Amino acid sequence: MNPTTQRPNDPTNLRLCVRCILPETFPNIKFDTEGICNHCRQEESALAKAPAKKADYRRKLDDLIASVKGKAPSYDAIMAYSGGKDSSYTLKLLRERYDLRVLALTFDNHFVSPTAFDNIRAVTDALGVDHISFNPPWPLMKSLFRITARDDIFSAATLLRASSICTACIAFVKSLTAKTAIEMSIPLSAFGWSPGQAPIQSAIMKTNASLIRQNQKALINSLPDTVQVQMKSYFIPDIYYDLYKDRFPTNVHPLAFFDYDEERIKIELEGIGWKAPTNTDTNSTNCLLNAYANQVHLERLKFHPYVWEIANMVRQGVMPRAEGIEKIYSPQNSEQVEYARKKLEL
Amino acid sequence: MEQIRKQITEFITTNFLFDESITLGVEDSLLDTGVIDSTGVLELVAFIEETYGIKIEDEEIVPENLDSINNISLYISQKLSQLTADKAAN
Repeated sequence: MNPTTQRPNDPTNLRLCVRCILPETFPNIKFDTEGICNHCRQEESALAKAPAKKADYRRKLDDLIASVKGKAPSYDAIMAYSGGKDSSYTLKLLRERYDLRVLALTFDNHFVSPTAFDNIRAVTDALGVDHISFNPPWPLMKSLFRITARDDIFSAATLLRASSICTACIAFVKSLTAKTAIEMSIPLSAFGWSPGQAPIQSAIMKTNASLIRQNQKALINSLPDTVQVQMKSYFIPDIYYDLYKDRFPTNVHPLAFFDYDEERIKIELEGIGWKAPTNTDTNSTNCLLNAYANQVHLERLKFHPYVWEIANMVRQGVMPRAEGIEKIYSPQNSEQVEYARKKLEL
Repeated sequence: MEQIRKQITEFITTNFLFDESITLGVEDSLLDTGVIDSTGVLELVAFIEETYGIKIEDEEIVPENLDSINNISLYISQKLSQLTADKAAN
């Protein structure tokens, strides 16, 4: 039996939307007389048009790939590759469906599970993909994670979708991916975001230099002075916005518009040597910090940091509601929480 | 334009304004004040496209168009006027 922690997130004590799984503790949520939340109501007309929109985006990706494939000096796409299920499947799609020259980049945050590294080796070998790993010094990452574990330094809107710890880590991933694409003239940057992580409108989008610049500035300003200077060197340097303005890649996250079925994805991946890890939490297949990040977020904000994403997936019909409830409202594994807490000396 | 401003303010207040210490003015930068982040901008784009039936091109997703309630409202008004003019021309 799994060791478990306290349950600040126990669904038996919480009112949940009867359609998706958002809880009454989610900021500004309102339920109507049928028990359906305002987010579900707001999405109704967009969801009705989703099948046509997904087909449109698949055509759009086909056209985009036809226009860039084979033209860049070294690679057609850079893949932000965690070794988890979704990014592994996206990598497979880019290689097998589109036969792209892909460079896979893993951001090693010092909490990547050993199974994830085994999976990275197996999948990149099976698919014939070049792979690089980026590993910032542990003292910097430890300092950043300790800061983000103690305080919610990012905006309230950001913390609706991810924990403070995850947000800091993803900022590295996005910046390093964009920076490498710019430096190596790679036209596409791919992410394995699930259909619930971002709106479909962003699933194929040319990165906008001025927007990235302003976002990056806001993010760096959120950090304490002690790490700002060190962190800045990992972000896109100001000079790139003028010098390389034509090299900013187009972001793609195909899982937003391809059929998404977790079980089928796992079966397909097992065919190329990927194995489901047994030591990560219910919402990650690569990171040993995630359970702790979730626990800290839950204790402070009283809602799970993945609930927005999983609720979107339930609403879209790509995940059964019962499975969503299990993912979000199961207690965090206390051994995993303690592992991260000890490593961070908190 | 007043109606658009009202709808945008309501969308932002409901979906992004959770920090009660922030009083948002119509000219305030949504990114600098941390009200909206990069994913939030994309949600805003999705809302505008769905609500007003307009297509926002990638190159139009810039702070000049989307970084304050006033800029967003003005941008939508201009897009709607353009749409009406295009329809009339056809």
